[in-house]
Amino acid sequence: MTLETFAPSRAYTLGVELELQIVNSHDYDLTPGAADLLRLMKGYQLAADVKPEITSSMIELSTGVCERHVQVVDQLREVRDALVESAGRLDLRLAGGGTHSFQDWSQRRIFDTPRFHHVSQLYGYLSKQFTVFGQHVHIGCPGPDQALWLLHAMSRFVPHVIALSASSPFIQGYDTGFQSARLNSVNAFPLSGRAPFILTWDEFSVYFGKMARTGVVESMKDFYWDIRPKPEFGTIEVRVMDTPLSVERAAAIAVYLQCVARWLVTEKPFEPQEDDYLAYTYNRFQACRFGLDGEVVDPATAEHRVLRELIRETIKNVELQAIELHAERGLQLLLQALDAPDGSDAAWLRAVQAREQFLPEVVRQQCERFERG
Amino acid sequence: MTEGLWSLIQAPWTLRPDTLVGATLLAVAAALLGEAFWRVLRWPRLLGYGIVGTVLALTGAGARGNETELRLAVDVALALLLFEAGARLNLRWLGRNPWLLASSVAEALLSAFAVYAVARAFEVDPRAAGALAVLTMCVSPAVVQRVVSECGAAGQVTERLFALSALNTLYAVFAMQLLIAGLRLTDPATWTEALGPTLFSFFGSILLGAALGSVVAAIARRLDLRNENSVVLLLGCVLLALVIAKTLQFSTLLVPLLAGLWLRNRSERPWVWPRHFGTAGGVLVLVLFVAVSSAWSVDVLLAAGGAAIALLAARFAAKGAAVVVFARPSGLSWRQAGCLAGALLPLSATAWVLALDFTQMHPSPGSALLPILLAMVAWMALLGPLAVLYGLHFAGELDVVTPRASK
Repeated sequence: MTLETFAPSRAYTLGVELELQIVNSHDYDLTPGAADLLRLMKGYQLAADVKPEITSSMIELSTGVCERHVQVVDQLREVRDALVESAGRLDLRLAGGGTHSFQDWSQRRIFDTPRFHHVSQLYGYLSKQFTVFGQHVHIGCPGPDQALWLLHAMSRFVPHVIALSASSPFIQGYDTGFQSARLNSVNAFPLSGRAPFILTWDEFSVYFGKMARTGVVESMKDFYWDIRPKPEFGTIEVRVMDTPLSVERAAAIAVYLQCVARWLVTEKPFEPQEDDYLAYTYNRFQACRFGLDGEVVDPATAEHRVLRELIRETIKNVELQAIELHAERGLQLLLQALDAPDGSDAAWLRAVQAREQFLPEVVRQQCERFERG
Repeated sequence: MTEGLWSLIQAPWTLRPDTLVGATLLAVAAALLGEAFWRVLRWPRLLGYGIVGTVLALTGAGARGNETELRLAVDVALALLLFEAGARLNLRWLGRNPWLLASSVAEALLSAFAVYAVARAFEVDPRAAGALAVLTMCVSPAVVQRVVSECGAAGQVTERLFALSALNTLYAVFAMQLLIAGLRLTDPATWTEALGPTLFSFFGSILLGAALGSVVAAIARRLDLRNENSVVLLLGCVLLALVIAKTLQFSTLLVPLLAGLWLRNRSERPWVWPRHFGTAGGVLVLVLFVAVSSAWSVDVLLAAGGAAIALLAARFAAKGAAVVVFARPSGLSWRQAGCLAGALLPLSATAWVLALDFTQMHPSPGSALLPILLAMVAWMALLGPLAVLYGLHFAGELDVVTPRASK
């Protein structure tokens, strides 16, 4: 199988995908409800789309191609409200968050499609443990080479969006100490991590051809990279984020990436290089473990910086882009979160658990937060 | 002297269900048989209990329902199951999906009418037919819960089965209270003395149920109910409420059901405790199912077996029709509606206890009603759990949740 050709798209257009948790309203454990929800969602005409995911207690929503923050917010709110209404008729609840706090992975059922069964057979328990919930953001690129350039230039900002979205402190009933424990599950997959440092589409096609010849991969879908090109959409897809607890936060993170992308392309503050990746996994770990308080290293200057400060600085840097793209509101929301003591979703979840001492109740409040916005 | 001593030695060893050794051996046999069914056929253990009961009934050693100790065990087991049934029913769901409420009311009413009409066609006394109509509205929450928890079922059909069975049990228990009171109040000889106790029992049951629900909520806020000791405390509370209910002649069915309902719906906070209150509850549930499925006799089946089949068929058709009619507006697929209709078959302990209570208050229509009901329960002892099992199987909802005990 050869690599698809890169279908160019308008620069800095946005698409947001959110994987959501479906829980019952009885003990707030994950519950198989995707097929029922999808059946009821057929009755709605929406700008956004709703799809099944690998386990039947997960559902994915995705916006159409958006240009502005307000569009993303409107589409996400509209589809959320429709989903919440449908879920209400089925006595199901929906929640954001990168992991379910106390689900038992052995009990998850694989959604009934050939691809999902194939993935399940290949990866065994990993695919069930992969019952984690992420946000993906697509950023439109006018050409394939620019897409690869942007992909590598964006790698420095991967820790930023991990910290901003972190919402998975609990796994299997325990506090992991991480702000985003979800990425630890993703890391177990053989083709996860960073993309190889290749800056032209021709070279990338050669690389893909070699990989395909080994039989290890069949399509781009088999790469679980943090950022990967999506040729049929003409986008790069940033995949490191946990699903935030609210669609508003998800939209804000999406426009943060949009502004950064535009800033990188128009002002070219630096050229991406292989050495950017020297401290990549370390920085990524810092963001997962400590969130906004994580300390990341600039491999060029060996300078250590706290993510909270770096994000604040970045928001300042992209001020002009934010005005151009009408993204100020989204960035404002992120600035507020940086200042608040339980500003990160992970901190909020921990605060609720400290008060309630009962994870099912934490999940319930998580549902309220998602459903109300 | 020697004779007295002999009978003392012999008495506890007599192989009858009402002696200690008899009951113990029965429990062992039921548990073994249940396990065999589970291992070999993946059928709920409940069927093993049912077969032991059926053998008892065939040998004429079945329960009659007036044995004091047995009745206590049955009441406690049923109270636990009804408490759980109530605690699973989310009334807010009915607000968000009024078609579900419509389908619940329709299936209960239609089944009552159908059963009444068929019973009258078999020339059953109108009062007995009325009582029969009321108590066959309920789909045994005991069987439903047991099968669902053993087979690890989860999904929309499972949830609706829980909701419909809790609701129609609630209707049946309420309607039975009204019927018992109504029959006494319309009798000019008894109405003056009946009015006070009837009102006392009715409102007392509601108050006691609410009180029990509040106490459990208060305990659950402070203790983790998944902890064994807290469960014992919980069990104690239910028992205490039951004893109070029995002493004051309240409904032993209404109190736990309302308590669960109150607990679930007074606040949105979720409550989690081991199913059937752990091991102690499990033993009582076993006794309950053996007792219920042994409650008939060969004579009863010969006399009323045919009528019972006709009544069950009418009940099935009525409930099924209501579920199917409201399937699409309430958000079910046709396939799910069919599965749900099939799973609404079980008739078990709740109906039996309701019938016994009715007969105690009104012996003359009661004696006409009891054989028919016992025959219906006899047919359903094995068919009921299988209907639930296969209903959920065809809905694709089995083995979603691994039962905790088998891990």
